[in-house]
Amino acid sequence: MGLLSFISNFAHKQEMNESKDEIVVGEIITAMSDLGFPVIGIMSDMDYQRIRFRTVKDPILHAVTVTLDRKTGGLTAMVVGTQASLIIQAEVKNYLADPDDLLNMYKTDFMNILKIPILGDVKINHELNSIFGTTVKLINIDKFLGGGGQNVAREELRNILMGEINRIKEKIASHKKKSAIEPKL
Amino acid sequence: MNDEEKEQVFVDLVKYSWDKFNERLNNSKIDEILVGAVVASNVKNGYSLIDINSDGVNHYLRFEKLTDRTRIIFKLNNLSEDLTVAKVQGHLADVTIGYGEKVNNVGTVWNAFKSEIKSAFMLTTEPGVITCDADLTGSYIYVQIPLILNLDKYLGENIYTINVPLLQKDIDCVVHSLRKYLKGRLAA
Repeated sequence: MGLLSFISNFAHKQEMNESKDEIVVGEIITAMSDLGFPVIGIMSDMDYQRIRFRTVKDPILHAVTVTLDRKTGGLTAMVVGTQASLIIQAEVKNYLADPDDLLNMYKTDFMNILKIPILGDVKINHELNSIFGTTVKLINIDKFLGGGGQNVAREELRNILMGEINRIKEKIASHKKKSAIEPKL
Repeated sequence: MNDEEKEQVFVDLVKYSWDKFNERLNNSKIDEILVGAVVASNVKNGYSLIDINSDGVNHYLRFEKLTDRTRIIFKLNNLSEDLTVAKVQGHLADVTIGYGEKVNNVGTVWNAFKSEIKSAFMLTTEPGVITCDADLTGSYIYVQIPLILNLDKYLGENIYTINVPLLQKDIDCVVHSLRKYLKGRLAA
């Protein structure tokens, strides 16, 4: 029984180590749910998780995509912690884009082409009727795992998400065009 | 027709198209909306998401309470993906919920499976039938039950408004009953 117990404990610890990013994804989904943003898309891979949320109560934003890209694991993580990049992308959607408006959007897109989100900038990109603002933040996943003080960490994660979403929103809000054909939710 | 009238016809056609498109699009998002709501409900009940997977039809979720290592597993399948079906029968989902505990005693695992091994013709998809399963790698035994959930019960004024506290309560009640059953099977 001793050996079985040792092996199963080791396997459990390894499994938990590999599940750190899923644990943080669960916290992100819960934080966004509290803000009234339901999940509308999930893409999950080994160290890469992407979740899309519908920003229902927001009059400017259509959706937000949060991507958690785990950078360190194993022995490296023991030294520097479990580092990950949190990529936050907010979308403004215009219903019925006039050809003149489309031309203006492409000009703005060209001006933003050299901005690198990792430096804290918001990169703006236009695709058909949508305008996307993207920024990247580096976080230590270990901070948001379970255990004591979990409520404090959850609040901090919520503040990070809302802070970055609002920052992107400020940059892309001017591209939102009111339309009579926009669906009302 | 003058230019203004023609543009108004154009706008009306685009608006109608958006309305019909969004109706289908919103209905197709029910899977992900349900997955997100289940995740939020379980995290609020003290569990952490440890695994999320999909095979294109079913969505699989695993949660663990980090303090006592108990686990909950979900298999979710949207039964109303087609808009016409959803309009006729409402939004229904086939949900299997399992509750698991860690066991290190092989004898306990064997005893818990006696009923499952005995019955070769057991149909495990009938609602209300609790069955046992095991994850031998991690030494976990699960008891699980298939249910059909009425998702309209949890949807608010629109498909994107979810009553997470209600779903959280219902999941908690199911887990409570499964926990009681598992403890009884392990003690037998």
